[in-house]
Amino acid sequence: MLYRMSNPEQKSMKDAHIAPAPARTPAISVKSLSKQFVIPHEKTNSLKGAFVNIFRKNTYERFYALKDVSFEVKKGEFFGILGRNGSGKSTLLKILAGVYTPSSGAVKIGGLVSPFLELGIGFNPELSGRDNIYLNATVLGLCEKEIDAKFDSIVAFSELARFIDQKIKNYSSGMQVRLAFSVAIHANREILLMDEVLAVGDSNFQSKCLREFARYKEMGKTVILVTHDIATVQRYCDRAMLLRAGEVAMIGTAEEVGNEYIYQNMSDEEKRIVKEQEAAKVKASRDAVNARKDADNLKGQALEDERTRQAVEQKRQEEERKNKVAEITGVEFLDRDGKVKNVFETGEVINIVVTNKFYKEVKDPIFGVIIKSLNGVQLFVTNTEFKKMVTGTMPVGGTEVVFEIKNRLATGTYSITPAIADVTAKIFFDWKDNLKQLNIINRDYNSFGTSDFEHKIIIKK
Amino acid sequence: MPQTHENHRELVMRIAKTDFKLRYHGSVLGYVWVVLKPLLMFTILNFVFSSIFNFRNSGTPYYPLELLTALLLFQFFSEATMTGLTSLVSKAQLVTKIYVPRWTIVLGSTMNTLFSYGINLIVLAFFFVLYHKAPTLSGVVMFLVYSALLYILAVAFSFLAAPFYVRFRDIATIWEVALSVIMYASPIIYPLSIIPMKYWQLILLNPVAFIVNYGKQGLINGNFTTVGHFVAMAAGIGLSCIIAYLVFRKYEKTVAEMI
Repeated sequence: MLYRMSNPEQKSMKDAHIAPAPARTPAISVKSLSKQFVIPHEKTNSLKGAFVNIFRKNTYERFYALKDVSFEVKKGEFFGILGRNGSGKSTLLKILAGVYTPSSGAVKIGGLVSPFLELGIGFNPELSGRDNIYLNATVLGLCEKEIDAKFDSIVAFSELARFIDQKIKNYSSGMQVRLAFSVAIHANREILLMDEVLAVGDSNFQSKCLREFARYKEMGKTVILVTHDIATVQRYCDRAMLLRAGEVAMIGTAEEVGNEYIYQNMSDEEKRIVKEQEAAKVKASRDAVNARKDADNLKGQALEDERTRQAVEQKRQEEERKNKVAEITGVEFLDRDGKVKNVFETGEVINIVVTNKFYKEVKDPIFGVIIKSLNGVQLFVTNTEFKKMVTGTMPVGGTEVVFEIKNRLATGTYSITPAIADVTAKIFFDWKDNLKQLNIINRDYNSFGTSDFEHKIIIKK
Repeated sequence: MPQTHENHRELVMRIAKTDFKLRYHGSVLGYVWVVLKPLLMFTILNFVFSSIFNFRNSGTPYYPLELLTALLLFQFFSEATMTGLTSLVSKAQLVTKIYVPRWTIVLGSTMNTLFSYGINLIVLAFFFVLYHKAPTLSGVVMFLVYSALLYILAVAFSFLAAPFYVRFRDIATIWEVALSVIMYASPIIYPLSIIPMKYWQLILLNPVAFIVNYGKQGLINGNFTTVGHFVAMAAGIGLSCIIAYLVFRKYEKTVAEMI
């Protein structure tokens, strides 16, 4: 393990953070870093446990939180680290901060680090905001004189002047973050490590923090931001790294990495959906087989009971069908080539195939779908009536209705609600709210909002 | 290690001060307990042992003073080791959420008990006045030296045990029992003179017993140990502290993952 300062003189320099940063030296250089956690299957937290384990074979799992991670961050860069939960991004940050020691590989840090890993490091709930500023700032390496000098500025930035002599335990979590963040940026180190700080705190304070990061950058300082908020990374970071299961999936511009992250998440979603569907199919056939087996194994009275039960059930279903006119049995998304997919690109044709079952003959029913955003806003509603279609008589049995849509939805997840109504549109035979989710990604360019219109931007001078 | 700190002294003092501030937090009497607790212990032990065993007539005319002195020393040791032992766990935030040199946490935590010990020494001085007993200058100096040695011993124990306490919380219970064994194995509630002389050496091999005995003897009766014995004991304690620190540095690395 090589863990040393790339610039040893800084150690002895009292005011190292004022000294001009040597140009072209990386602020952080990580080479084939691995971190392995050994997780015992039964955590030994007592001596007895340890003694017992001498005689028993100790079972434990080796788990790589980080595997062969290499990257470099230049001085003055705003670097984002993206990844899902458990991808190792927080472990990486803790190694950079020195909380964990790496299992192998080299980490070189060229400057003083101010980590901001979690809410209120070293904060004590029983102490006042004032005392906590002193405590926290000392923990971040400021001396008493420096804190005295910066105290007012710290309080002003946190906007907590009114509460500064109250105990921290009476602060809201947003207030605690504000105070902690304020101290962290006043620590005035060369490298700022930030973990999910923007999750808490209102939007005003968030933008204030981001402005502060930008100012940091201008001063030639380095900011490392760990998050899963793609928008923040794309808007503020110069470069970013995507971690996936402890490995570097991608390093590049914030834009590229952000898009890749969205895409990967979507393909995960796709895999999950397919897996679920397969599992459901397998389960259904297994259940059917089991039910038959169970029936075969039954004897005497039990067999009689089972037969009655089945007869009753059959009758109930028939009864239900008598009352029911039609039922929506499923929705699938097909692309132009008839391949079933769950993730579509903007501009692509989506065939929304709704399968129905009619129990009675129906004349001119209306078929419709609603596309909704995840927060329930109707983005698009269409049906056969709106399109001035006369559907004709539906025979008893299965039918398929295909809604062929040229997709203009923006990157994100949406839900599909199909419905069947009678010719008057007053009686609904079936309505399945948010029956299925649809994922959209635009890999060509970024945009915000739910719609993604085909557009050009023309500049005239 | 990534540099987050230049000023370790400030950090240690800040940790100690914060601990001291929080120590009697939420209690009505607050800091009065710093002196009240040892005085209550003293009153009970003094009542029981002076009246029942009648040490006054067995060649220890200043038994109450000896008892109080020894008791303060021992309580200081007991508190310092207990807070030192549990320091990494009780300040887990400083271990898992940020990097500060871990030895500062252990040192800062034990230092807090040094403050209360200092306050108690003032009370002790008051008792000397009360009993019309003036210690010699060399007695006072040696007493302070012994106090320092005792503190180093407590720090050594804390360095040695704190990283293991993170994994094995039983150590605190074991140490509590061990402390009461040490207390009865040291001349605190009884004078060394009631023990047959042939066992003295054995008893005084225990550094706590050695410090308690000669600390109070020097202060009250002007009896000192030989230079050779003193140097051997001081060197032993110093060496054990260095070894303990090295062990600490070896095992602190994985502490953040274990808490």
